[in-house]
Amino acid sequence: MSTTRKASDETGTAAWPAAWVRPVAFVLAVLGLVVSAYLTFEHYTGSKTLACSENGVVNCSAVTTSSYAYLPPGAGSWHPPVALLGLLFFVAVTVLCLPMLWGRSRGLDLLRLAALGGGVLMVLWLVYAELFKIDRICLWCTSVHVITVVLFGVVAVAEALRPLPVDR
Amino acid sequence: MAQRTAKQRRADNARQAKLAQLKAAERRRRARIWSVFGAIGVVVVIVLIMVGVKLGTGSGNDNPVSNAGAAKVAQQVTSVPASVFAKIGPGTVSNPPKAINGQSLTQDGKPKVLYVGGEFCPYCAAERWAVVAALSRFGTWSNLGLTTSSSHDVFPDTPTLSFHGASYTSDHVAFSGFETTDRDQQPLDTLPSADQKILNKYGVEPYVPGAQPGQPPIPFVYFGGKYLSSGASYDPGVLKGLTHSDVAKAMHDPSSDVAKAVDGSANAISAAVCKLTDDKPANVCSAPGVRAAAAKLQ
Repeated sequence: MSTTRKASDETGTAAWPAAWVRPVAFVLAVLGLVVSAYLTFEHYTGSKTLACSENGVVNCSAVTTSSYAYLPPGAGSWHPPVALLGLLFFVAVTVLCLPMLWGRSRGLDLLRLAALGGGVLMVLWLVYAELFKIDRICLWCTSVHVITVVLFGVVAVAEALRPLPVDR
Repeated sequence: MAQRTAKQRRADNARQAKLAQLKAAERRRRARIWSVFGAIGVVVVIVLIMVGVKLGTGSGNDNPVSNAGAAKVAQQVTSVPASVFAKIGPGTVSNPPKAINGQSLTQDGKPKVLYVGGEFCPYCAAERWAVVAALSRFGTWSNLGLTTSSSHDVFPDTPTLSFHGASYTSDHVAFSGFETTDRDQQPLDTLPSADQKILNKYGVEPYVPGAQPGQPPIPFVYFGGKYLSSGASYDPGVLKGLTHSDVAKAMHDPSSDVAKAVDGSANAISAAVCKLTDDKPANVCSAPGVRAAAAKLQ
């Protein structure tokens, strides 16, 4: 066992990613997919059944019906809903996080990391909009934000732990 | 012997080279791990800074929605005694709702009042006090915020309430309020397509004299297709120099100019709402102030 590991370490082909990475990333991606699907459904049905407080700072419908629920902010066909963009994002991320796709190709692995990096930037923009533009916090949206950042962390750590090939 | 020494030297060199490679690889690996934790740390720090700035400065758009005083002001505005409304009657309302034969607008089986405004707009600022006071007689408000109109427009910094994030429940009438921009004229609420169609259709001539297509007039208040109001119902100048608390208190004093303007307009708006609700509830729609103001409806 130790011999195999040593040999694979030296050739940069050790078991990658770590055993916990594939299931954790996939579960997080599916969770993000479910919540973003729910938010998309609520967006297109007027947020009438959105299960969230409407009192005080926490007010999901104030966020999901604001102009910042579109990108770029506003309304019209050139302003796709953020909820829909989030759903499409998590569809793609869920596919990229399918356990059998890890380590299949370097391109896919980098695409997964890059997609989640972009997702984190989007999260920062949305948190800024909630705090400084809308003055309300949407808990469902926050759960998607947390999932995105944690998933980025998992994928980034996995990439960082990828064995480096050693010149022979 | 000399040959053996050279062999050993080559082996030592190879080992050292290999060791150097392994050390270099380990350094790269550590650098990669640190860069990942650095990136995650940067994200966390940015979020913490935003939260810290938010907590330290309150609202970024100067909309003090979390001000503890908001609840007290809202409570005062929504509890003007019937005796005060009765004494005021139409007061100094100068621009009461006008009758129209428009498209019916309902929600959950109830006639709907649609309000469209902007937090920067001083006329909207004036109108909200009256709309809130009027509708509080038909139902219950929650989560009303406080804000002021733009500092760079006429009637600067007019104190007002905000419908952004507020909700309203009533057995008789539904209400949808949208603040399309904040006080810095940055986008805020977006109208659902059905409400946007109403605004597009009735926010123009001849319903709103002088209104231009593509430039919706605000404040715009559509009373279920039966009445329409655009512009402030009274002179916003009566609110000049007052705080939110001053306005709310003055609404309880029938001798004040604020009460005559705001409560009088609220009576006129109540009369328009009564036309939607078949004069229900009776205690509101048959109130002397509302009846007196109904005569002012055009």
